[in-house]
Amino acid sequence: MTYALISLSIPLFCALLLMLAGSRVNERTLAIITIMASVLSLFAAWLALQDAAAANQSQMLNLGGWDAGLAIRLRLSTLSALLLVFTALMHLLIGLYAGLSRQGVARDFWPLSSFLHGSLAALWLSADLFNLYITLELLGLTAVAMVALAGKKAYKPAANYLILSLAASLFYLLGVVLIYGRYDSLDIQLLAGLTESDVTTRLALLLMTAGLMLKAALWPLHLWLPAAHANAPTAVSALLSGLVVKGPLFILWLLWSEVAPPALAQQIGPVFGVAGMIALVAGGVSAMRTPYIKTLVAYSTVAQLGYALMALGLLLTWQLPQLHIALWLFVIAHGLAKASLFLAAGEMQASLGTKRISGLRGATQTVPIAMFAFAVAGGSLIGLPPSGGFLAKWVLLEPLLNQVENWPWAFGILLGTIVSAAYIFRVVALSFDRARINPPDTRPDRLGHWLALLPALMVWGMALTGDWLIHLLAGGGV
Amino acid sequence: MSGLQMYMLLGALIFLLGLHGLLILADPIRRLIAVNLMGGGTFMIMVTLARRSEPADPLLHALVVTGLVVAISATAFALRLITASLATESPGEPEHKAVQLPTDSDDRGQPPA
Repeated sequence: MTYALISLSIPLFCALLLMLAGSRVNERTLAIITIMASVLSLFAAWLALQDAAAANQSQMLNLGGWDAGLAIRLRLSTLSALLLVFTALMHLLIGLYAGLSRQGVARDFWPLSSFLHGSLAALWLSADLFNLYITLELLGLTAVAMVALAGKKAYKPAANYLILSLAASLFYLLGVVLIYGRYDSLDIQLLAGLTESDVTTRLALLLMTAGLMLKAALWPLHLWLPAAHANAPTAVSALLSGLVVKGPLFILWLLWSEVAPPALAQQIGPVFGVAGMIALVAGGVSAMRTPYIKTLVAYSTVAQLGYALMALGLLLTWQLPQLHIALWLFVIAHGLAKASLFLAAGEMQASLGTKRISGLRGATQTVPIAMFAFAVAGGSLIGLPPSGGFLAKWVLLEPLLNQVENWPWAFGILLGTIVSAAYIFRVVALSFDRARINPPDTRPDRLGHWLALLPALMVWGMALTGDWLIHLLAGGGV
Repeated sequence: MSGLQMYMLLGALIFLLGLHGLLILADPIRRLIAVNLMGGGTFMIMVTLARRSEPADPLLHALVVTGLVVAISATAFALRLITASLATESPGEPEHKAVQLPTDSDDRGQPPA
């Protein structure tokens, strides 16, 4: 638990320090401090993961030494430790890109990204419904501020995103209040033994689910995502799509797998499954049709979140531990692949001086490494072996293929795979059109391209550590 | 007890009123006010729930105070963001005129910045 707290406090204090320092330090120092903080936090998270895996059960901490019921409790399970490592790793990779690539970022990016890191770490560790609300708000406000870093054009999507995010938080809060009014408790573990499927509980769960689905951009509440994610600066888009939408998804999972009575969860499971399937297809089709590179990547997030939602829905319906593994493998594989995809898209946009997909003609010749990163990360989204995306999809498909009556779900996944392949290959095929090349505006920034490739290589490396990851997620349970 | 139920109902009504506003209004400042109404409704329900026991439940009061702090800072941030975005939309025009501009909530296919 100590290591997890260190992993949480380092980015938090780093963010406060950088905000206090303000304009007294130059940009390079800001970048170096933030990247150092990510490295230290990653190291602490790694130790916390070892610790949690060895303990083999979740460890609780009552903040301030109050009794259970009044205290805000933090919980370290294998899953939350793994997510801490994932968050720190993503911040490190994207921080390295933001610090070293020529495109660069606004100086306010550094304290904000640190703050985002801290809020996410707090979210993974919270085991209290109201504390989760606070982390959600922190996450939302920081994300909006980061979208606004892109400058004047992004103010409107940022304002729209903020208003929707606030409304979603209030839905969640109202649900939390109803739960507290009914059971006099906010602690997730205490609630797990108390909840019954009466009208108040159903209403509360419904309100919280609506709020969380809006925040996580799960179909049909996803319409705000492409505008917000595509308008943000490149490094921010990668953080938003790779990490931020996973926070509300985690709370949704916590809510239905622990707080909700199992009978209710079994009823809602198929609904989530169907919504996920529609998201896969609808998001994919939108990604196929959009003329802009970053909007394509943003719609692909909507589609890929469909897999996660589907895994969650089937997990609730059948309560199979395998699907729990599939859900979190998806989250990690998608995070890494999406970071690479956004960074590569941003790099190509900058090098070729175009926002349109049609401008990527001949990109294999003009910006080969960035295009390679795009294709490799896209391969993981499609689920080509031996990538992390393949691993997750395989674990999800296995229980589906075993029984004939589950084949419609498997068909949904197949359909999603075809659509993902269509929008990725749409870009890749165009980039091989070397007859009518769109010449690059500047000499390509090679280092930036390589840094965009790094997360994609990691997601393919995930397959090598597949056994270990599956073992970790299987042992941890909650 | 019926008094408390009335306040609960009023809180729910205010929440729904805010939600209605959020769904049908296009002007960003009005939408922000609608979100604040939703918050007001939620806080009212919280305060009413706290009154169920004697003395009143201090935990819910603490939650309301926390919620208010969040709401105030978020509203301030949103107002600044909205005024800034309106100012960029119509350079040279006063801001109250810019409010009249149509705002589309459907941003699909809009070119990224």
